[in-house]
Amino acid sequence: MNLSPFALIFVVIGAPAFIALVYIFVRGSAGLRRYILTRIVLTLPMVFILASLVFFVMRVLPGDPVSSALGPKGTPEMIQRVRAQLGLNDPMIVQYGRFLRDVVTFNFGNALTGGHRPIVDEMSERFPATLELVIPASILALLIGVYGGAFAAARRKKATDYALRLYSVVIYSLPIFWLGLMLQLLFGVRLHVLPISGRIDAVVGTSLKHVTNIYSIDALISGNWNAFRSAGLHLVLPTVTLGLILSGVFVRLTRINVIETFQSDYIAAARARGIRERVLVYTHALKNAMIPVITLIGLQVAILLAGAVLTETVFSWPGMGSYLVERISGRDYTAVQSVITVFALFVALISLAVDIIYSLVDPRVRY
Amino acid sequence: MATPQDTTQESAPNTGSWRDELEDVGFVRRVLISRLWYGPDWWFVAISAVMVAGFITLAIIPGAFAPYRPDVLVGPRFLAPNARPDLPVLVVGGSSNATQLRDLATLPGGERPSIGVLQGVPTAGALNQEAQSIDEQLKTEPEGLRLRPRIVRFDTLDATLQALQDGKLTAVVVRQLEFEQVAKQFPGLREGSPITGETATAGGFLLGTNEIGQDVFSRLIWGTRIALIIGFSASIVALLLGVPLGLFAGYSSGPIDRLLSLVMDSMYAFPGLILAIAITAVLGPSVLNVIVAIAVLYIPTYYRIVRGQTLAVKEELYVDAARSLGARSMEILRRYIFPNVIPSVAIIFSVNIADAILTGAGLSFLGLGLPPTIADWGIDLARGQRFIQTAWWMITFPGLAIMLVVLAFSMMGEGLTEIFNPKLRER
Repeated sequence: MNLSPFALIFVVIGAPAFIALVYIFVRGSAGLRRYILTRIVLTLPMVFILASLVFFVMRVLPGDPVSSALGPKGTPEMIQRVRAQLGLNDPMIVQYGRFLRDVVTFNFGNALTGGHRPIVDEMSERFPATLELVIPASILALLIGVYGGAFAAARRKKATDYALRLYSVVIYSLPIFWLGLMLQLLFGVRLHVLPISGRIDAVVGTSLKHVTNIYSIDALISGNWNAFRSAGLHLVLPTVTLGLILSGVFVRLTRINVIETFQSDYIAAARARGIRERVLVYTHALKNAMIPVITLIGLQVAILLAGAVLTETVFSWPGMGSYLVERISGRDYTAVQSVITVFALFVALISLAVDIIYSLVDPRVRY
Repeated sequence: MATPQDTTQESAPNTGSWRDELEDVGFVRRVLISRLWYGPDWWFVAISAVMVAGFITLAIIPGAFAPYRPDVLVGPRFLAPNARPDLPVLVVGGSSNATQLRDLATLPGGERPSIGVLQGVPTAGALNQEAQSIDEQLKTEPEGLRLRPRIVRFDTLDATLQALQDGKLTAVVVRQLEFEQVAKQFPGLREGSPITGETATAGGFLLGTNEIGQDVFSRLIWGTRIALIIGFSASIVALLLGVPLGLFAGYSSGPIDRLLSLVMDSMYAFPGLILAIAITAVLGPSVLNVIVAIAVLYIPTYYRIVRGQTLAVKEELYVDAARSLGARSMEILRRYIFPNVIPSVAIIFSVNIADAILTGAGLSFLGLGLPPTIADWGIDLARGQRFIQTAWWMITFPGLAIMLVVLAFSMMGEGLTEIFNPKLRER
């Protein structure tokens, strides 16, 4: 079995994490070790359940993938041949076994439509694009969310608090694709300052060497400043769209947690000692309040990815989300199934990482 | 009697008196008085309740608020909000008393009216068509009038109007806005009504028209219906499945609970929209399928909260007491646990409707889920996206509508959370 480019990405990201994990595991206490082991063991069923869910949704629900992929041109013989090729005539349990094997070996087969390229190759181009969008967006959301939330909590029941709460509710109610469209309208169409679609200018893009497929990093590595500028500019609107939408949830969560921490005895004690309110909020309360927020980051991955699908569609950003939508329009069930499985894997890994970090930060959960 | 002024003072007896008063007034008064207690959170809930009521009214009787049906073509394409459509209009000399094309009809043998038009513009075609249809209609009427205009073509607007001014023509048909620009130079002429009978649309459209000439405002109003249908049905289905499952799992807490929780937690962690995309992609486009897909997503939300609360309440002393008095499981669930779960379920339900509407809109924006003929905000946004460079109104208003509806429901949830969550309430 040769290593696919896509698996390579996972290895590149996963290797440092794995080394860190081993280090923590070796150096940590017995409780920590047990916790990490349990958590890893619990991650496997999660991926398994989600992958199976996807598999059965795709099989059990009515609709034949092959005849819809071939369209009206597909003769019964053609449909039969493709079905046999894909092994769709085998018993369900055999198909399921094969599907699980494919998931484990990262070999998703070829796309049913459009060039019939190996799905893994296509995803290895698309996945870095999604990462390039998702990572800065999360950072932006965390910055706005944590400071906004702490600020609101510090001014509880004052105008600022209600304003920030209103912000989080309004942001929560904004359809992300509409926010994207409005930003495009303002900065792209009216002010002409930012590009509204794609990842990089077509002309500049040809001069870029693709190493990681994360364009801004590729440009940095090769010292191609033109490309870096172009990639950066293209990144602004999608990142802001996704980041703003996510920030609402973080404002809300941080606010609630800081308020709860504020009611604990050690804050009262600190206050009695005459520590200034500002220090109280931003150092004493915020640190402890961040612990539950970290776990919730894990759950926000869901919002992040769902948001990424819509953001990518609006900004014609060639990531995993727009790939999913393209493949669904093309009725390519093999590809759809693979993309969703990768999403599931991604979610599971992030929540595993978050839980391990949580256990490091807050010793209480290990026991 | 405690007045609001009394309660804002921090004197204990006054606070006590209106709290006591809560005991012996009716529900409506109780809700109103509780305003003093909860402050801005009460207003959050109140305002959002009014908004929700408004949207429900819109969804039930959209026809009463929308000027047109959502699917009819009512005007020119891409008309900006409040811009007047440039309709072909009848212009006659000051001495004539005709205002419509029909007024120009004559008896057979009489002089045929000559009507001037500009060469090479759509008004000429519109005039021909309209005159013919009026003539057809006149044939069936007893007066014996006929409309068979002699159509005279001109090269410029000025030449056309000049000919009318000079009395060489009975009338001219020109674009309304073009005529109004030069009307001052021809004081003897009078503007009649648009020949196509679209007098109702002559004033323009509040929010403009879309790329095929449908009224954006009307589609907005009609879109409320599908949004609320999806929001409510999906949430109710999820509630009906999620709450019993959560109660059962929390109360039994056996291996079934563990298995169910594992499945539900996995689903909860997974991006809902993506799951919904997969389900609708397989099921194909229909309203029912969208509801099913979205309902499936939100079962875990109810399940998790209900299970958690059930686990907590189960340990309470009064449940133990009931059990030791011989109450059966069903009775404990119904009388002791279920009432404790209701407030959280109410909050989730409200937030859930908001979520479901957003997810539904997201699905239809992606072109999945709803059949394209339905008046839906997500579909309208997807259609408008292609014209972002020219028609800003097509993408601005449907999104605003989604936001307002979702805001109403989530604001209600937010206010209710603050009110019901005693952990967050300061003494």
